[in-house]
Amino acid sequence: MSIPLYACVYAAEFPVQTLLRLHPELRSVPVGVLDGKPPQQVVCSINRAARLAGAECGMTKLEAEGIPQLRLSLRSHESEAAAHRVLIECAANFSPRIEDARTGTWPEAACACVLDIAGTERLFGPPQTLAHRLREALHAAGFRASIAIGANFHATRLKAASSTGIALISAGEEAAALAKLPVGALHLEEDDARTFAIWGIRTLGELAALNEVDLVTRMGQRALQYRALARGELPHAFQPIEPKFALEEFCDFETPVDQADSLLFVAARMIDCLVARAAARALSLASLTLRMALEGGRVQESAIRPALPTADRKFLLKLLQLEIAAHPPSAAVVSLALTAQAGQSSKVQLGLFAPQTPEPSRLDVTIARLKAIAGEYRVGSPALEDTHRPGAFRMEGFSAVGASGAAKTDRPRIALRRMRPPLPVRVVLRDEKPAAFRDREKRFEIEAAYGPWKTSGCWWSEESWDAEEWDVLAEVDGATLVCLLVRDCARDQWRLEAMYD
Amino acid sequence: MPSAALLRMQIEQALERRFPAALSPAPQALRETAPTGIAEVDKLLEGGLPIGAISEVTGPECSGRTSLALKFLGRRMQVGHVCAWVDVQDALDAESAAANGVCMKQLLWVRCSGERIGQKKDGKPWARLDQALRATDLLLQAGGFAAIVLDMGGMAAEYARRIPLATWFRFRQAAQRTQCSLVVIGQRACAQSSADVVLECKLVRANSDTETVLSGIRYEVRRERARGWGGGELEHGFQRKSESDSSAETPVPACGNLYAFTSRSGAAQKLGYADAEDAPAKTLSFAPRLSDAPESPFCESSPDRRKPPVSTWSAAGAWDREKRA
Repeated sequence: MSIPLYACVYAAEFPVQTLLRLHPELRSVPVGVLDGKPPQQVVCSINRAARLAGAECGMTKLEAEGIPQLRLSLRSHESEAAAHRVLIECAANFSPRIEDARTGTWPEAACACVLDIAGTERLFGPPQTLAHRLREALHAAGFRASIAIGANFHATRLKAASSTGIALISAGEEAAALAKLPVGALHLEEDDARTFAIWGIRTLGELAALNEVDLVTRMGQRALQYRALARGELPHAFQPIEPKFALEEFCDFETPVDQADSLLFVAARMIDCLVARAAARALSLASLTLRMALEGGRVQESAIRPALPTADRKFLLKLLQLEIAAHPPSAAVVSLALTAQAGQSSKVQLGLFAPQTPEPSRLDVTIARLKAIAGEYRVGSPALEDTHRPGAFRMEGFSAVGASGAAKTDRPRIALRRMRPPLPVRVVLRDEKPAAFRDREKRFEIEAAYGPWKTSGCWWSEESWDAEEWDVLAEVDGATLVCLLVRDCARDQWRLEAMYD
Repeated sequence: MPSAALLRMQIEQALERRFPAALSPAPQALRETAPTGIAEVDKLLEGGLPIGAISEVTGPECSGRTSLALKFLGRRMQVGHVCAWVDVQDALDAESAAANGVCMKQLLWVRCSGERIGQKKDGKPWARLDQALRATDLLLQAGGFAAIVLDMGGMAAEYARRIPLATWFRFRQAAQRTQCSLVVIGQRACAQSSADVVLECKLVRANSDTETVLSGIRYEVRRERARGWGGGELEHGFQRKSESDSSAETPVPACGNLYAFTSRSGAAQKLGYADAEDAPAKTLSFAPRLSDAPESPFCESSPDRRKPPVSTWSAAGAWDREKRA
């Protein structure tokens, strides 16, 4: 049986790290995060610059506002949840067995997870190399975390929480590694902490040196657990979580944003993160859903679907820009969420003799621009409806991928030019055939009329139609026109539906 | 007044850094053509419509322009090309397109709406036209489309004539670069010098043998212009003699592809880039007669060189009528 080996990742001050991850320009600025409901808001997390400026966790908002240059922001649990998913996903690149170590007595403002890294030496090298690579990966994802590696689960947890860099605990030396940590690191109950204070026990080393029987006699069975923790001997049944791969990013704005440029600035960073996370799994983004929470409680959602999955952030950002330009938010945006669907990286097999088709990514941008010009539902490919209704069609999305070639037709067919909407006309009948018709301006003399062609359908619904079609040769101003006249039998109305051209 | 050649040289020198030889047309190789799928028209055009150039299909309504354009797209799509239809009046009938062999999935249809926020409807098609021109420009610049049809067939000719020459010139350059056949459907020719081929369509006969089925429709196609055919260089000869009297304006002797003409008062009215043949017909009063024009390949197929080549073709009747009859 192999020796167990754990690596604990501890990201302190997680609320402020979540904020700085999306706003890296604030890293050198004192920043604090407020938690709670007004007027009882308190500072729950601060960065190093804020600590140097004199800020402390637990300060009230009024006290914090008294510190010059300290930027205060409201805590966003959605952003933290999204950032936590990213951290877990980053750690999952090193081990599939991860246990979330946030539960229990851990401070709420920290994020921690423990990786089971036993047997990964051949993949990532010795534990120290793995720790460095893990820390670099977390750094690239925007997190500052301390890492402890050891054979005991709880020992690595305690060590990671109290160190700032990388700590390695050799097997059998857990007690020595934890000896200098304060007893408070165990997050004792209040009575127990007071008891240890009365006894003069301040460090875990002093706690570990106490006699087991005497300790249990005075404090009960829970003291046994404290002592085992302090000696790094408490066993643990590893409970791995199954990290769900979800490409989601969330950003809560301090103040509502009403400018598209500001939205795009934040969205660009979020797209960067999504692309990097997908690329880590050799994937691309197949679709991107934009969810904007607006002032007043409304939510606006739109989606971008490139023709092929892509990892080109500039291209995705351009599509997002065109989407926002086409559907601007109706009110200021309070929060922005981006959700992506992963897809296999696009591979297009080009043939030497295959006809040239538009480049998919460029075509997406072109179609988005065309939609901005002509309208959302006025650009695409027509598709015939499965109905006998004359002129029925629907618009579908256009994609040049997989163009196979049209069927061969021999003779050219006379084409119709439809009038949308049809032109109402007055028709003069002779022998039950149209003899002339007139619109608002001109009178058309009919030379020959062919018909009627009766058509009807959908009698069971409101979309029913019942019409007579006449192909007529009409003369006006010396010119001959070939028109399609339609009589709506239900309303007894005539209209000029189309012209043969 | 400086000569046209001098002007051209000065303009080209000024723009040399950004656009080398801005006003000198690039030497062209033998022009490729794509068949329209209508044998008679292909014979008239000696192969079909040009690739990488602008072709105009003109004529009054019901003259077969749309059928010809749809058949051309259908023929292009047979080998897997994708095409686009920029519809100024939103008049395309999807069933007609399918009946002419157009594969719907390979067709990008842009239906101009003419609606603009905050603008009143005045019944004039400027908004639609603006949308159509911008859409065509985008599609041409994007590349990859074998053919793009700009359908202005339902719009009065006076509106189409207001499209600036610079727009057509840009379209021609883009079409040439992307090897796209830009087919413009209109009531009159409007692309002037930028069009390589101008076809004029006309309804000849539409008599039917039966009382219920409209059939026997024939169209006449007249080739008004065909430039750059097989010569390796642009043709600068005049194709036709102006039919209208244009004594109101006196042209200044042109040089190369620049032309300038002045009104009788002598004030310069227009200076543009075009082949001499591309000046509006009424201004070509100085044009030599066809017998004086230089040898031009497009005239070879015509026995009578004074008349442009003409062909007739027939279209089958409406696709559903015959079936139902």
